[in-house]
Amino acid sequence: MAGFRLIDVAKPFLPLLPEVELPYEKIGFDDKIVYTLISGLIFLFAQFPLAGISKESTNVLDPIYFLRSIFASEPKTLLEFGLFPVVSSALIMQLLAGLKLIKVNFKLRQDRELFQSTTKLFAIAQYFVLANIFIFSGYYGNNLSLTAIVLLNLQLVGAGFFVTLLVEVVDKGHGFASGAMAITTITIATNFVADVLGINQFPVDDEGHTEPQGALINLLQSLRASHKTYTGAVVGAFNRDYLPNLTTAFLVVGLAAAVCLLQNYRIELPIRSTRARGTTNVYPIRLLYIGGLSIWFSYVILFYVHIAAFSLVQLVAKNDPTSIIYKIVGGYAPVNNLLYVPQFPLSLLTPPKSFLECLIRQPLTLITFTAFLVGTGAWFATNWQAISGSSARDIAQQFKEQGITLMGRREQSVAKELDKVVPVASAAGAVSLALIVSAGELLGLKGKGASIVLGVTGTFALLELITMDYQQSGGQSALAQVLGAPGGSF
Amino acid sequence: MAKGNNQIEKLAEAPVEFIKDGSAFIQKCQKPNSKEYLKIVRSVGIGFVAVGIIGYAIKLVHIPIRYLIV
Repeated sequence: MAGFRLIDVAKPFLPLLPEVELPYEKIGFDDKIVYTLISGLIFLFAQFPLAGISKESTNVLDPIYFLRSIFASEPKTLLEFGLFPVVSSALIMQLLAGLKLIKVNFKLRQDRELFQSTTKLFAIAQYFVLANIFIFSGYYGNNLSLTAIVLLNLQLVGAGFFVTLLVEVVDKGHGFASGAMAITTITIATNFVADVLGINQFPVDDEGHTEPQGALINLLQSLRASHKTYTGAVVGAFNRDYLPNLTTAFLVVGLAAAVCLLQNYRIELPIRSTRARGTTNVYPIRLLYIGGLSIWFSYVILFYVHIAAFSLVQLVAKNDPTSIIYKIVGGYAPVNNLLYVPQFPLSLLTPPKSFLECLIRQPLTLITFTAFLVGTGAWFATNWQAISGSSARDIAQQFKEQGITLMGRREQSVAKELDKVVPVASAAGAVSLALIVSAGELLGLKGKGASIVLGVTGTFALLELITMDYQQSGGQSALAQVLGAPGGSF
Repeated sequence: MAKGNNQIEKLAEAPVEFIKDGSAFIQKCQKPNSKEYLKIVRSVGIGFVAVGIIGYAIKLVHIPIRYLIV
């Protein structure tokens, strides 16, 4: 017998884990939109502040600030870890299964169920471990009482559990695309709007002046404010570093435009029908074959590296500059009483706070950070395209079923021909995305660069699915009628 | 020994090969013309910002709630 299999770990938990049912009947177009949007909005609404944090200020600050926006997490709220455990467990489990490192027979229904439950269990376990790393590091306050520790655990793990189910609702066909992708896209869009057009005010000085969160709104408000000069207002709007500024906003928009352009790079393979003569068409192979997934994977690895370093430095060495661990791994320096900025060896894999700072203090980061993103991205893209169900062989199979073939090729050599294009496309696409992300991050976007790239690719994936579904449903949508769209605007 | 050398050479060649293949692929790619591009940017932009505004509205609701419970 095959002996021990990893997915069997989930067996005893199978009756305990709640599961979202597959839809009984086909879900209509409108319902799908509503399900997708509402799950995103529920996720946003769940950003409640944690109870049980000690009121005294602590000297342990946020060590993963630059990874937050890409995993839709908010510091000191229920969603402290956002979607990270869900995303990482899904990606890692599928990679392991695809690379045959764990044995799963996807043809068996029972194995599929076990695999799914293992993934879920893995996600919840990660929520638990991460929560306790943060609690015992003193991030929520030193000397927490036992009740506070239990309370924090309940909140963080409970919220995580809820999030896994929320993602599953969309995943199981009630909504569009993968749940994590849809929810992240919605969160990223929200953060973008808040950073540019946000009107909520924050106090900025002791005299009671406030500034809005949104960069553009801030410019308008400062121009009208009586306590600022005209030039001062404009310079402030572009330069403030305590709240989003216009420079970052422009950079982010620029990155988004670049990704939009790349998204449309494609190779069009001429195809013809094997059944009817003379009908020809093209089959596009995208440059961004696997979309933004490679970025997600790189950031999952980055997250693990930084969490491992954080637990070593903070839990074991207490961030003490004289300890050996601090000297080997690098420690943290508090900045603005908000962020924990990693120091030397660790900072090689940390996007700098500004480009200038990076050049002056550590130009090596330019190379290491980019190389890391490019390397992990390319590795992931090459492997993922082969196991994700859209490899060259899968497409060839589809061709065969639909009775089409590549122009000038016999049916047997279609797979071989596609195999020359697909892996190159997905790897080259992942590398170009990684370059865009690292350009943005090295200019000091602190995670916003990566998240906008992911957001735009996610929007593309969603829009494509929505358009396809809309056309298949024959345009029978009350939503579209209300919005007055003839179906062409999407 | 010769075999080992060969392998190292191969390892060093892989990235070069990859860059060559990749850039050739990108050059062969069909690029969108400016009209197509504008249309895509518009539809993605509208979708992105519209969803963002809805999400931001939810976040605004949160601010008074935070005051109430903290």
